[in-house]
Amino acid sequence: MHSRAATIIGYVLGFALLFVIWHLASRYLVSSVLFPSPFPVFERGWVLLEEGLLQESVWASMRRIIQGFLLGSAIGIPIGLAIGSFRPVRLLLEPWTEFFRFIPAVAMITVAVIWFGIGEESKIFLIAYTTVFVVVIATAAGVGAVGKDKVRAAQCLGANKFQVFALVALPATVPYILTGMRLAMANAFVTIVAAELVASNDGLGKMLWDARLFMQVEDIFVALISLGLLGFATDRVFRLLIRAFAGRFNPTM
Amino acid sequence: MVAFVELDGVGMTFRGRTGAYEAVRDFNLELSEGEFFCLLGTSGCGKTTVMNMLAGFDTPTSGQIRLEGKPVRGPGADRGVVFQGHDSLYDWLTARDNIAFGLRLRGMGRGERRAIADRFLNMVGLKGQGDKHPSELSGGMKQRIQIARALANDPRMLLMDEPFGALDAMTRAVLQGELSRIWSENRKTVLFITHDIEEACALATRVGVMKRGPGGTLKAVVPIDLPFPRERTSDAFMASFRQVHELIHAEIHPHA
Repeated sequence: MHSRAATIIGYVLGFALLFVIWHLASRYLVSSVLFPSPFPVFERGWVLLEEGLLQESVWASMRRIIQGFLLGSAIGIPIGLAIGSFRPVRLLLEPWTEFFRFIPAVAMITVAVIWFGIGEESKIFLIAYTTVFVVVIATAAGVGAVGKDKVRAAQCLGANKFQVFALVALPATVPYILTGMRLAMANAFVTIVAAELVASNDGLGKMLWDARLFMQVEDIFVALISLGLLGFATDRVFRLLIRAFAGRFNPTM
Repeated sequence: MVAFVELDGVGMTFRGRTGAYEAVRDFNLELSEGEFFCLLGTSGCGKTTVMNMLAGFDTPTSGQIRLEGKPVRGPGADRGVVFQGHDSLYDWLTARDNIAFGLRLRGMGRGERRAIADRFLNMVGLKGQGDKHPSELSGGMKQRIQIARALANDPRMLLMDEPFGALDAMTRAVLQGELSRIWSENRKTVLFITHDIEEACALATRVGVMKRGPGGTLKAVVPIDLPFPRERTSDAFMASFRQVHELIHAEIHPHA
């Protein structure tokens, strides 16, 4: 319990220090209207919350992230398992992953908009796209890393091929899958902002873009802080999940 | 009468990028049911290869292996294996579920599985530790779980590949004693791989000494006709130890 309390205090102090430095910098280093101090930003954030605009943008972005992310994972996990388990599948699909993972989702925005318009579909497609390859690679690596003796032990306890897969390879791969999903989630944040900047009617990216058009510098900062906090919170959730499912037997994660 | 286990002119040549390596050559051995056979040899003599072939992990490139008259083809539940490292345990399962894994594969119900697993937990001296995960157990305890897991599945025989090799000397001696006691109670046929002369003499009814590799094969078989539990400081034990030691010494220092 002690160490948990220390962690929380550390985080609170760390964030407080960030805002202190920000305040001092805006006051003495770059005093300019283009770099506001945290106080007007917080005030503006409060107003946006009261008007319900901030929640709206946050929810629009998060909804897309979650939908695309779940879709991408649902496609990526089985493909990763297949690539890791069957050599022919790996030989066939590895070129795909090796090719597509170097075409960033941001570069796909134009195609996505042409294909799916500026509505939800294009965002979900882009998030799913950015998620899929990370999850595929992490999952396939996990299957490949299953200890030889774990498989052998199951075989000489009478396991057939399906049982080896379902009861040994799959659970042993879960930590890798979760780690891949955690990395993919970070990509999803990058992608959603870029996509909403370019083509969207709502969301945090759109909020950033509009604020730039109308020179509402405080709004920009509110959107940036929201992104940071959202990402931080989601990553925490993933760390908790990884700990719950895998940390027990893998203290390094 | 057919021997329980027969290794009949067994050879194993591995083919790799650097060429062929003959690990085992013309290996002949018969085991009778209920005996504890220790296969002793220096590192690289091919003793683990012999075990891997009997377990069905590797297929011999020559000769044949039969268990109760039937040729061995691939791994199966009739041959329980205890591995050297504890990497073979399932980290996501409790000790009890690890032990019951083979029973679960057969579709046995939860209650029955639990009862059997608890019986084997007691047998290996881990009563009350069933809810722990492998990461919470010491190296010695993990090897106890491995032994319990193999036995709970009720195989026809047990294959053990230097199961105590990675343990400290104290824990090793304790586990050797426990294994000897368990074996005295159930008399499962055991093939036990080791490079430790004392361990072999303490556990085995017969010790097979292997020649150096490559092309490792059986050099001599020494019966250890001493009652269990064995008194390691007795003259009779020392005599067996010396006898095996001389055989293996010639393999360590071939030109001495």
